[in-house]
Amino acid sequence: MDHPFQCIEVVHRIDTPYLLSACGPKLSSTSLSTGEVVSTWTAPGSEDTGLRTEIPGPGKLEDDAEERPAKKQKTATSSATSLSKIIKLTASPDNRHAVAVTDDKCVRVFEIHDDGKLDELSQRVMPKRPCAVQVLPDNSTILCGDKFGDVYSLPLLPKPESSTHQPKSDGSQPPEEKSKPFKPQATTQTVHSKRNLKSLEAQMKQKNLTTKTKQPLAFEHKLLLGHVSVLTDLTYATREVDGKQRGYIITADRDEHIRVSRGPPQSHIIEGYCLGHTQFVSKVCAIPGADLLVSGGGDEWLGVWDWPNFSLRWKFESFGEDTRKALVQGGVTQAEALPATAVSGIWLVPGDLDGRPEGVVVVACERVPVLAYCPIAELRNALPGRTPKWSFEPFDHPVLDVTATGTTILLSFDTRSKSHERLRACKLHITRGECDVLSVGSVGEDTMQAAIKTANSTSSDVTDEKDLDSLLCGIANLRKRVNQDEAADHDEPAENEE
Amino acid sequence: MAGPPKKRQKREEKQEGEMPQKKYYRQRAHANPFSDHGLISQRSPESPAAMDWPQHYPAFATQPGSEPDNQAKNPKTITQQVEIADIGCGFGGLLFALAPKLPTTLILGLEIRSSVTEFVQQKALALRSQNASSGLYNNVSCIRANTMKFLPNFFSKAQLSKIFLCFPDPHFKARKHKQRIVSTSLNSEYAFVMRPGGKVYTITDVEDLHLWMVEHFEAHPSFERVVGEEVEGDVCVETMRTETEEGKKVERNSGMKFVAVFRRLEDPSWP
Ligand SMILES: C[S@@+](CC[C@H](N)C(=O)[O-])C[C@H]1O[C@@H](n2cnc3c(N)ncnc32)[C@H](O)[C@@H]1O
Repeated sequence: MDHPFQCIEVVHRIDTPYLLSACGPKLSSTSLSTGEVVSTWTAPGSEDTGLRTEIPGPGKLEDDAEERPAKKQKTATSSATSLSKIIKLTASPDNRHAVAVTDDKCVRVFEIHDDGKLDELSQRVMPKRPCAVQVLPDNSTILCGDKFGDVYSLPLLPKPESSTHQPKSDGSQPPEEKSKPFKPQATTQTVHSKRNLKSLEAQMKQKNLTTKTKQPLAFEHKLLLGHVSVLTDLTYATREVDGKQRGYIITADRDEHIRVSRGPPQSHIIEGYCLGHTQFVSKVCAIPGADLLVSGGGDEWLGVWDWPNFSLRWKFESFGEDTRKALVQGGVTQAEALPATAVSGIWLVPGDLDGRPEGVVVVACERVPVLAYCPIAELRNALPGRTPKWSFEPFDHPVLDVTATGTTILLSFDTRSKSHERLRACKLHITRGECDVLSVGSVGEDTMQAAIKTANSTSSDVTDEKDLDSLLCGIANLRKRVNQDEAADHDEPAENEE
Repeated sequence: MAGPPKKRQKREEKQEGEMPQKKYYRQRAHANPFSDHGLISQRSPESPAAMDWPQHYPAFATQPGSEPDNQAKNPKTITQQVEIADIGCGFGGLLFALAPKLPTTLILGLEIRSSVTEFVQQKALALRSQNASSGLYNNVSCIRANTMKFLPNFFSKAQLSKIFLCFPDPHFKARKHKQRIVSTSLNSEYAFVMRPGGKVYTITDVEDLHLWMVEHFEAHPSFERVVGEEVEGDVCVETMRTETEEGKKVERNSGMKFVAVFRRLEDPSWP
């Protein structure tokens, strides 16, 4: 069995495009002009770094984790197969650095040399597993959101002397907990209610646990904001107001929220919420210059928001249904057996409008071999009452990641069979027809095809199907199950409050 | 959420205007604020605009025809907004003490335990019916909500003038501190729903929790601590000390009560 490329990202160094691709623990840089693999890096095993690997089983989300850490914190058996896998990959806007996150919660920064070679510069282990990373337009700050809801900023290049750095936040963060000897925080004299007394008794019993307070992070970081939820995605958006650029952090969570906060150094200020989703929101994508935000998740619809005004501009109601229809047209007959909609990616990529790049929003759903796309001109210019036209393209396999160079887009597919291509280049032709339908064609550029062929032929280690599923298909687990944890809400006669 | 059949039946046997009895509404003390799956049957409104407020404050419902434009869009509006929130209101001691003191202000309790919420709702109905001539208690209600997750679903920006956090669960264990109702991140959410000049009132019998709340509000740039006469002379502080159920229990045991009040500051201009 083959391992798909879970993340791909094209960077440009001195006008040459390089494809950064993550395949399990392996990160490669392939020149798209020569087809040559210029650099390969492999993540160490969890033992090598002395890190513990948290293995969240499917559906093991925050509440379980918070309640039963003992069960959860099983360490990975350090066999050869326990190499850390890359779960996120991004590049700085100036393409000089790449940031990869491995599933041992480690944020790794790479220098991308002029010849496309990669050098690992730093490793920083975050307190919780990161779920979204972005390098800010300043090319020197990493924004990192974790699945427990917190968003941190880290300097892209840590200062060498920062090993003793005191954590601070947006000027607002009280010092983090340091390990201190166990001291009960209340005594039986200061606690008067039955519930507090119970809680204190529990604390006394648990004192061995309590003394193991977390070590503060040994590198510079600031806590910018947090959700009491599973954070799913974040994006940094800017807009010009009174001739000045303002930065915003837009965050999404499992509890249907899209939050708009100010960017640093005022990230403690929440500007507003884009509310309306009735299921988890898993992806948000801001459209620069248009003040629009595309959102999707577990709802059957896709949202396009006027985010500075927190209002839903268009609700693309039939998104889920249209996706299924496209599948049926694509020859998949058992479309009704498809999973409920779970948006796994929203990208803004350059389409091809008479040879010029023109933005197109591309959307993928987990385990569904269809891409939906819509030129941003449609979204921008659509008049009230007229819904922007989306198109759907069926593929053989679900799309995992999308990146682009020029007007060519690259797709990575979730295919685990050796005989199928895992990577493919294509173009999104924007034709000014009646309904602005885009068509996906194939690309003729030989060197790029060669590069893709090289990448497709690099064999990657056979992996356990289950491992792959948990790496590639975690979005559907965000859906809340009815009745789960309902016990927490049952009337209980036990407590006698007077 | 339905209680066990017997309790449920007892609750329903109550006559209109009759006070609900706590014993039929007891519920396990600690609900997990990180888990919401049970909330699906009574899910939070999509947004504050989607809330059915007249259901909670019928005396303040917008009269049909008075605002035709508004009516067409959302018939479920009230003539004024909720201004005071009691977060984790429990059985509602503070709510029912404040309501007659501030009869023209809408007060809302938010409580994660559904039976307890129902008790408060029933008590509000009973008090309204007993005070029909004076119209008292029309301004108080309670909603089941996990405020740590869903506060912005109920209140819009700068809506509230007061938030009460009375005797919150202490969550002593360090690894449970993330469950505390006061944290740097949550304070940003409180700031969001509060208007500048509005106040957060906190009280607890656990000194460590008091210090924690003071530390986190003082460190948050959107808040400053209020001290001195402005606290002591505040009728809300007095009410919070004496009328909360927890406050009464602590009183009976002649324990300490730690009070702190914080003011929501204006947001700074953009850098
Ligand atoms: C110790 S009681 C205090 C009740 C009341 N404020 C008083 O002073 O008497 C704390 C209350 O907060 C509620 N609570 C805890 N977490 C909550 C949350 N996330 N959202 C809403 N209520 C919560 C509990 O169910 C409980 O009723």
